[in-house]
Amino acid sequence: MQAAEQVLLRTKGLTRRFGGLVAVSDLDLEIRPREILGLIGPNGAGKSTTFNLISGFYKPSAGTLFVFGENCTGKSPLAISRMGLVRTFQHGSLMSSMSVRDNILLGTIHGVSGAARRRERTEETAAMLGLTPHLDNMAGTLPHGLQRLVSIGIAFAARPRLLCLDEPLTGLNQTEVADTLTVLERIRDEFACSILLVEHNMKAVMKVCDRIVVLHHGQHLASGTPAEIRNDRKVVEAYLGHRHDS
Amino acid sequence: MHTAIQLILTSLQIGAVYILFSLGLTLIFGVMRIVNFAHGHLFAISALVVAYTVPLLAGWNLPALPAYLLGVVAAVAVTLVLGFLMYVFGFRYFQRDMVGSFILSIGLVLLLDGVFLKVFGGAVRPVPEILPGTVTILGAPVTAQRLALCVAAVIITALLYWAMTRTKLGKALRAVSIDHEAAMLQGVPYGRIAFAGFMIASALAALAGALIAPVTIVSPAIGADYLIKGFIAVIVGGLGSVPGAILGGLFVAAIETVGGFYFDATSATIAIFLLVIVVLLVRPKGLLGHG
Amino acid sequence: MDNLRLPYWALCTALALAVTFVVRDPYLASIVNLISIAALVAVSLRFVMLIGELNFATAAFMGLGAYAAGAATTILHWPFALALVFGGVVAAAISIVFGYITLRTRGPYFLLIGFAFTEAVRILYSKSMALGGTSGMVGIFPPVGFDAWMPSLIMAVAAVLIFALYVLERSDFGKILTAIRDNENVARTVGLNILLCKVACFAIASFAAGIAGGLHAFANNVISPGDFSFLVAAFALAYVKVGGEDNIVGPLVGTILLVTLGSFALGLGGQEHIFYGAAIILAVLLLPDGITGLARRGYQRLAARKGH
Repeated sequence: MQAAEQVLLRTKGLTRRFGGLVAVSDLDLEIRPREILGLIGPNGAGKSTTFNLISGFYKPSAGTLFVFGENCTGKSPLAISRMGLVRTFQHGSLMSSMSVRDNILLGTIHGVSGAARRRERTEETAAMLGLTPHLDNMAGTLPHGLQRLVSIGIAFAARPRLLCLDEPLTGLNQTEVADTLTVLERIRDEFACSILLVEHNMKAVMKVCDRIVVLHHGQHLASGTPAEIRNDRKVVEAYLGHRHDS
Repeated sequence: MHTAIQLILTSLQIGAVYILFSLGLTLIFGVMRIVNFAHGHLFAISALVVAYTVPLLAGWNLPALPAYLLGVVAAVAVTLVLGFLMYVFGFRYFQRDMVGSFILSIGLVLLLDGVFLKVFGGAVRPVPEILPGTVTILGAPVTAQRLALCVAAVIITALLYWAMTRTKLGKALRAVSIDHEAAMLQGVPYGRIAFAGFMIASALAALAGALIAPVTIVSPAIGADYLIKGFIAVIVGGLGSVPGAILGGLFVAAIETVGGFYFDATSATIAIFLLVIVVLLVRPKGLLGHG
Repeated sequence: MDNLRLPYWALCTALALAVTFVVRDPYLASIVNLISIAALVAVSLRFVMLIGELNFATAAFMGLGAYAAGAATTILHWPFALALVFGGVVAAAISIVFGYITLRTRGPYFLLIGFAFTEAVRILYSKSMALGGTSGMVGIFPPVGFDAWMPSLIMAVAAVLIFALYVLERSDFGKILTAIRDNENVARTVGLNILLCKVACFAIASFAAGIAGGLHAFANNVISPGDFSFLVAAFALAYVKVGGEDNIVGPLVGTILLVTLGSFALGLGGQEHIFYGAAIILAVLLLPDGITGLARRGYQRLAARKGH
């Protein structure tokens, strides 16, 4: 049980096939407490599939998935989210016709009982993300950068133990990226929450992540600290090769 | 054995009309992502026009078959005009808006119900026999009219199938129903294709109505029953799928015929409903629906 | 819980009840009953629209409530209040089973299956001799002495249920429902059981529809399968769309307006369908937000002009 406590999420030989296509193949992955783990790779490397497998939206074709030490292979997205693994979506991860307040409130409903305590949690979360001035605005009318923060806010309001973010920085300007990274670091440090970050913005990934896993053609290519990954010959080749192809 | 052949033949006769009906529904849904409840009224007006013109033309001493064929031409023309009006003044504004288009179609259903009743009256209209006589198939007798209906339905379905797979328009229709954004990026003019799809569906409803008119009792309410069965057929087969509509149409017809023969029409209708529930439990998007 | 605007509700309910006390003409009283019951059905339909689904089975659940209340009265001789509640409970119980199966589907599938269910249930009534077959069930009377107060009673029951649905909509549960319509996947990822919430929403709406059916049975004393065709849901949809679906006031305004116009201008003749059909078509083409949406925009424009 000691080992289980030290690893929040572990996959063993995780595989997913779509017809003849192998999207993710024999993947071993580990997420530890209080770390921001970057999951990167060229387009089509299997990042999104991995994300959907971990959160229960896809069932693995083979392999096992352990979440917080418990075998969660084949469990529903609901069961996995209730264990404390909360994810966001790449596109439109919020309710655009509801106010920011109600959006964030939604994240508190399952875990917090009592209207007053939900309200408190909502406001605390909004304050941390710098969304307090926008609480009563309609989420769909906010600028893109703030909408991305609201998405993180909904997920974080559930106070997960593991927060999985699917390209949260897409379309943000430099200031917004820097602010979001600060928020992620605070979530890790102040709430002891680990973060799985799928992201294309390499500079940001290198800056914020404690460890990075690189996928290529659905397979594990390399893993290590940002410095190790930056100097990994295979990784450089995979990215350059991909660019060359397209 | 004799009973089995009789039941199969009856299923095919009923199924033929359901197929024509559900092909139109599934085509419109595939291309425009709308649910058109007024489709039954396109069918009904065609049957009504046939039932109105054939006795009229027969009164001018025209033989039955030419009178009927002229009636069919008139029925298809009137139906296409109604379909055109529905599209241009209504559904054009509700492409890919399931709720909005459905509400519009409910409005059309109520409006046309009232208008048909005023124009044609509530009375049922018999159509004189067009093709007299019966034919014996494998020992089971079938009226020539019903046989002609089946043959016509098979030809129309085959033509549609061929057009969908072989012609440029058919390919565009299928591309739009699979992924309309990708199709538009490939240069498919979505608005024109949607219009074409709606008019083809209207024409299918018109042909189904004109074909059914001589073998049934025509009243302004004739569309409603076929509408329910047609929608059940496309739910079972999968909305947007052409083979699904054919499969679903035959399925519903078979249950209705067999259930009606061994039990009664009510049990058959309940059985069809139970079938839908079972299909939805196993495959929430229909037997051949994708996604 | 957000501000419930209690003073407005109290005032409007008091006004509506006052109308029922004043109206003594039987024809007018029947129209008032029609408005109360239709408003409850329209609000029930809109409640399921919160999760983004069009619930055409509303007509079926209204019918189940009416037949259950009718059977409890005429066959089991249960007291009035118990029979009425029984109608709602039967509708809700059946809707839980039906919803648990069908709410896994979405959009057109759910809509069409509700439509088919309505027709199938109607066939069942017409074939059941115990329920009166095609000619229907007769003799569903409220207790002796209630006759004069029926419009007030029906209005009061409808108002209580409509207010209850409003309170639910404004609660955190209501926010989950809107979230399901907007983005079901997000709601699922924060630990909310979406299917359970959908079924709960559906069952609550069906309970209200069932009570509306029971009220209809006691108001008319006679029910028949023809009373509960899909047209019930189609009319309710007209009320919601003409009034505006953004706010619970919409279906209320729509019901009062269309039922009154339909009753007085056309005398409920054969033109009823043309009238409702044209109203729906014009509303969806010209007033996408309904009358309440138009009023709100007009008010905002006026406020903006005053501000200058």
